[in-house]
Amino acid sequence: MNKKEILKLAKGFRGRAKNCIRIARERVEKALQYSYRDRRNKKRDMRSLWIQRINAGTRQHGVNYGNFMHGLMKENIQLNRKVLSEISMHEPYSFKTLVDISRSAFPGNKNVVLPTRKVNVSSINV
Amino acid sequence: MAAQAAATTFNGNLKKALAGLRRINLEGLRWRVFDAKGQVLGRLASQISTVVQGKDKPTYAPNRDDGDMCIVINAKDVCVTGRKLTDKVYYWHTGYIGHLKERTLKDQMAKDPTEVIRKAVLRMLPRNKLRDDRDRKLRIFADSEHPFGDRPLEPYVMPPRNVREMRPRARRALIRAQKKAEEQEQGGSQRKGRKREAKTEIAA
Repeated sequence: MNKKEILKLAKGFRGRAKNCIRIARERVEKALQYSYRDRRNKKRDMRSLWIQRINAGTRQHGVNYGNFMHGLMKENIQLNRKVLSEISMHEPYSFKTLVDISRSAFPGNKNVVLPTRKVNVSSINV
Repeated sequence: MAAQAAATTFNGNLKKALAGLRRINLEGLRWRVFDAKGQVLGRLASQISTVVQGKDKPTYAPNRDDGDMCIVINAKDVCVTGRKLTDKVYYWHTGYIGHLKERTLKDQMAKDPTEVIRKAVLRMLPRNKLRDDRDRKLRIFADSEHPFGDRPLEPYVMPPRNVREMRPRARRALIRAQKKAEEQEQGGSQRKGRKREAKTEIAA
């Protein structure tokens, strides 16, 4: 019944919280509260992770995230950050063309790319 | 092997330099070399910390450690601005009551110049479980030699820095100090010509 359901939800908890109903009940309630809150937080965290990845990808080409997005908005490219981060991870050449489009739409950022470094496709398939 | 034979000129820190290399798996990482000569301490440390975290790669994931190996050379030539050489103090508490120890930057550089950069970078990394692993990826050397000559190294080019223009007050103070130094030299050379020569002879 309720006890059984709670102990089922308490699998993997630490110490007595997975075995004893009184402690498990508290912990399970807290866990359900956290999961409610984190279903909303996950959307924020994922967007922040996409932005970090896009930032890293564009900085390899000498543009930072803010200017890159500004250029894309000017050109009315409506790709969202999720797709942009996937492109920056798996399709480096397409991403470079996007960066060039953004750079031409916006006062050019000086290129800080190291002369010896190429975007190794092998290092991207992680 | 020849590289290793040549590299054992500093076998004092060879053990420390190669320590824990086996623990770092995934040797698909790059080896980046930072030259600390003439770099400002904090600005260099912030660049190193981004590279060590792996935040310059688009495949960054916060739960796994994917940073490159960073080698810092010429650690004894790192610069600081202002009066930090004498005024920046490192504090630490030993755990016994009343035993708050301190050491200035100057003494620390005399004792172990690599610790200065290591502390700076470590304190810029996020305090989580990956911090120790990232510390293991940092290798700092005081002079310009390192035993990793046989690896594929890549020098790291620091991004150009826009130095802020001096505030008018500071600028005027600097000009005043320069003028004073010039006047002292001129005045001294005019009045005490011989004594000055004698002084420089003694000094040289």
